[in-house]
Amino acid sequence: MFFDAHTHLGLHVAVDDKGLADWLATWTQFGVTHGAVFPMDGLMSDSRVRQNNDEVAAACARSGGRMLPFCTVNPNFGADALAEFRRCLETLGCRGLKLHPWLQGIGPNSKEVDALCELAGEFHVPVLFHDGTPCFSLPSQMALLARRHPQTTIILGHCGLFEHWREAIDAMHYADNVWGCLCSPHLAAHRELVARADKRRLLWGSDHGFGSIDQVVYRTGLFRLLDLGDDDRDAIVHRNPARLFGLAA
Amino acid sequence: MTTIIDGYCTLGTERETRLSPEMLLSWMDKAGVSKAVIAPEDREIAVENAQGNDRILELSRLSKGRFIPACTVNPWFGPAGCQELRRAVATGARMLVLAPALQGFIANDELTSGLLQTAGQLDVPVYVHTGQHSSAAPTQVVLLAARHPETTFVLGHCGSTDYAHDMPAVLRSATKNLWFEASLARPWAVGAYTAALAGRNMIFGSSAPRNDPAFELKHLTRYLPLDEYPNVYGGNLAKLLKEPL
Repeated sequence: MFFDAHTHLGLHVAVDDKGLADWLATWTQFGVTHGAVFPMDGLMSDSRVRQNNDEVAAACARSGGRMLPFCTVNPNFGADALAEFRRCLETLGCRGLKLHPWLQGIGPNSKEVDALCELAGEFHVPVLFHDGTPCFSLPSQMALLARRHPQTTIILGHCGLFEHWREAIDAMHYADNVWGCLCSPHLAAHRELVARADKRRLLWGSDHGFGSIDQVVYRTGLFRLLDLGDDDRDAIVHRNPARLFGLAA
Repeated sequence: MTTIIDGYCTLGTERETRLSPEMLLSWMDKAGVSKAVIAPEDREIAVENAQGNDRILELSRLSKGRFIPACTVNPWFGPAGCQELRRAVATGARMLVLAPALQGFIANDELTSGLLQTAGQLDVPVYVHTGQHSSAAPTQVVLLAARHPETTFVLGHCGSTDYAHDMPAVLRSATKNLWFEASLARPWAVGAYTAALAGRNMIFGSSAPRNDPAFELKHLTRYLPLDEYPNVYGGNLAKLLKEPL
């Protein structure tokens, strides 16, 4: 298994049959077998949240088990957001929640995000955040959130991007339930993350669907450039996601 | 045959920018890069300016023309910093590097005025690391360049990652004294930026060793083929630094 833990469906990639076929063909072309799929439109527009959650879940259901659906909600909507998240878990079978705090306009250390993390913990699904961007998306903010919700896995979707990757390592040291997705830091930061963070909590992601296929071309290339040993590579793209999502190892 | 000049590399001795001259030359040869601008490492940019400038100047002297030295000065040193810039340029430095987040100021703070005027008098371009949140936004550098028309600026990294959203407006607002360097920016985005600039004022850079020059070149040339954009890969920077190709 080669698992892509950071992708987006919708807006840039159509959710129809052709879009799905192209998506799977792209993964196959670059050796990706499985992955987590997040909504895209729903992150950009509150009016598209429910529909995009439905679209992502439906597309994933037609993928032969290769695509694991995540949903999103805007935490600002409080009880309604919580209800939509519950619907996605119970009805759509979503495997995680994606939040993008600076796009959605809410800090990770808010009571609304707390409530969503609580529900995620009850259902044993992770919450993946965009991170690396002040003022609402710092790894340290998510580390504090993680300490408050030890039963919930919190994933740093970008391991701090270019400027906050050291903070991402610190966040992973601070809270055992913080995981990191290698998606977007530069090559040297990738190397430091692999060397200094807990490799049992690292994932890899392409950001496929956020723009063109170029994301996959570039980031699979960057991952290969790391020249990891077989064990490290297997942990990041196989064993860790298998453990996190209960997939067959 | 396009001459490739890497617009920004760090020859560091510690942390993630550790890189020996021999290793950089080896990477350059592998990537087909003729020359590279080399800059001091983070500690030297933040506090040990003169020590870093001397180290980089010496490495350049030993490189038989392959390395083009950049120097750095922390604007908080005030007049003494201007003096250090004059000294470094007199000794061979070709570009001034500012890193607002490392050096502790906001890019368009008036703190930099004396230093930027000095750079203008010395005809030395000023490379500003952008992308750091709050301290070094591309829009801040646009204002800085507008305020200092006597000085040439290089907007490093094109705002990657999250200030990439500002880049279309930044490119539309850019004054003639504002140039752009592509390291850390996504290759497909650099293609779009270059198209918006009609190829002018865009400079290839790898940010080695934070990135691998050969890998970056391989991906960037998918969007900007070497034979179609020779100036991006060397001509523009050579013109800016008055460096023979």
